[in-house]
Amino acid sequence: MKFRSVMIDAGPMREFSNVVTTISKLSKECVLRIAEDKLYFIVSDENNGPAPPVLWCEIPQPMFFSEYQMIGLDDDHKDIYLGFAAANLARSLSTLKSAKCLKMKLTKKQCPCLTLEIEMPSSTSQQTRHVTYDIPVVVIPRKMWADFNEPKTPYPDISIELPPLKQLRTTIDRMRTMASEVVIRASAEGRLTLQIRTDMAKVSTRFKDLKVEAFGGPIEHSDSETESQDNEDISRICYCKVDAKKFSIFLSAEQISHNRTVCSIVHKKLIILCLQTQENVKLQCFITGIVY
Amino acid sequence: MKCYVPGPNVKVLGRTVHALARFGDELYLESLPDSILLRTLNAAESAYAMVKFNKNFFSYFNYNYYSTEDNEGLKCKISMKSALNIFKSPTHMDKQVENLEIKLDADACKLIFQLKCKHGIVKTHFVTILDCKAMQAVYTKDLVPNRITSPQRILSEAISNFQNSDDQVTIEATTQSFVLRNYVDSNIDLSKIIRTQINLKSAEFDSYIIDEETTITFSFKEFKALLAFAEALNLPLQLHFETTGRPVVFIVHNGATFEAHFVLATSKADTPTQATATQNTTKTERSKRKDDSIQNTVRKKPHLETDITKCLDEDSHLFDFIDIPEDNNGKNLQSKNFTLNASKQNDLDFSNAMECDNIPASPTSKTMIKSVFKRCFENTFDPRAIQGVVLAENSDSE
Repeated sequence: MKFRSVMIDAGPMREFSNVVTTISKLSKECVLRIAEDKLYFIVSDENNGPAPPVLWCEIPQPMFFSEYQMIGLDDDHKDIYLGFAAANLARSLSTLKSAKCLKMKLTKKQCPCLTLEIEMPSSTSQQTRHVTYDIPVVVIPRKMWADFNEPKTPYPDISIELPPLKQLRTTIDRMRTMASEVVIRASAEGRLTLQIRTDMAKVSTRFKDLKVEAFGGPIEHSDSETESQDNEDISRICYCKVDAKKFSIFLSAEQISHNRTVCSIVHKKLIILCLQTQENVKLQCFITGIVY
Repeated sequence: MKCYVPGPNVKVLGRTVHALARFGDELYLESLPDSILLRTLNAAESAYAMVKFNKNFFSYFNYNYYSTEDNEGLKCKISMKSALNIFKSPTHMDKQVENLEIKLDADACKLIFQLKCKHGIVKTHFVTILDCKAMQAVYTKDLVPNRITSPQRILSEAISNFQNSDDQVTIEATTQSFVLRNYVDSNIDLSKIIRTQINLKSAEFDSYIIDEETTITFSFKEFKALLAFAEALNLPLQLHFETTGRPVVFIVHNGATFEAHFVLATSKADTPTQATATQNTTKTERSKRKDDSIQNTVRKKPHLETDITKCLDEDSHLFDFIDIPEDNNGKNLQSKNFTLNASKQNDLDFSNAMECDNIPASPTSKTMIKSVFKRCFENTFDPRAIQGVVLAENSDSE
């Protein structure tokens, strides 16, 4: 099992650091799957034991690395799965914004380690300095690989592009102080509504004219509790109630630059937040709906 | 003693107190005829700091304000918390405070700090004097083989790569390179911590003299504090060190008005050779390794005891025939209880006190377990042999 890679461009290095930082906010532990063409960061739900991942992040290797070599176990098991504390990697990569070069490799130094060698310019002279981090990792055995397969999700009823995440995040963070659950409602006309309810008030924020990527046909609303906003066709609206905190944490991904985020809703069941960057990093977050 | 600290220097004094607060819980203030010394020692006695403010640091300095005939210097010990209270926000202090007046009366039980702020606000702090002790450490800084002068930024940038949870740092100094590493204790779970290593080239430093290549390990918390101090005052940092087991001295000075010494105990890295040390060592003993170099001087105020004047004469006599290199720059840090107890001491004993090389190596915790449960680690040990004989029951039945 071997892995060795080199990153030299400033842009991808910054983005890599941002992606890892975002992941470290979402979860304590994470799994890095190293495949021939892509790196995957996978986060499973910590509380529920073996469960479908809540986060799935793909990083295409040619866009990021100038050198990339890996050898898996054998021909049938070409990938490498490593488990580690996401915060450890995020903290070690925090200096990457000013770095000249990053070498990342799998080493065995008393225990399996993901070794990062970062070459930093000196602030005072022309010299460079070498910083080495050995992040302890656990090599995940083959029999557990199945736990980290890409989750199969039902076909979404609607996919709508989200407004700038920063804007959305301030809104959600305000709402979070009042209620712990938020209803996300999207209409085929490009309207996104965030709504909370408390005993005292009902607060909604509406975003208009958003791009609707896909709409899966009329939605059947069986229960009468669904309220329609003035003269809207109820069959063209779908919604899902989610934990506001989880949604807000995902929105901290706003620091990843040049992103485009699509929110897909499976009516009343699930929302899938998918962030895509110019470098083709795809970060997907699955938040299951709260049934009421 | 009475002195005035001008506004810009109040900030420096504030920074100093904040740096010292990271070292110890008590602040020793000693006023000499031409300077004021602030000192502190941490609880484990592994870190010591001394900052000397010369007369010209102050806009007014009168040692004899309360007309003491005492030439030994005024000493007092105050709690670090009360000192911190006076300098709450050193960053803005120079803008608010115009003048600080410090008064120390030999007979009073309060140390008085009076801050004259903008708009005519006067804040007076009466700080309770806890004791009239002085405390000094014995260390060498001038005759050491390894000396490095570093711009303040380099090292603080380097340590920003470490984790906050790291508690000790190792420096490996060779003639070509300077390697900083977080120290990993042998009994820490390796799968829990990140090991970090930073390689700095010798050319990055202002001056770099390594006559004796060595590896030293010392406490990270105090190191961070003193680096922050050097960076806040924008002054270069000098490192003076010998080998493992001898203290490392960090010096920050601006050449004219003040000089700060930070002394940290160094410990040996865990090596197999250390397993031979049979000494049972508790944690406190381990930290006291530097006992030979740092000593608390427990001493009453001179003017309270009559027979002390005699000792003082002998004191100066003793100083005459022992040739200590630091004597000339007034940094003779010979311990006072040494002179009190044995006024007729010969210089052989004294050199013993300075000699730290024969201290047995500090055993690691591993060896401690080995020596406590020695039998369990013997090759002939058979767990079946002790079955049924429960010497100490499990404390928790579950």
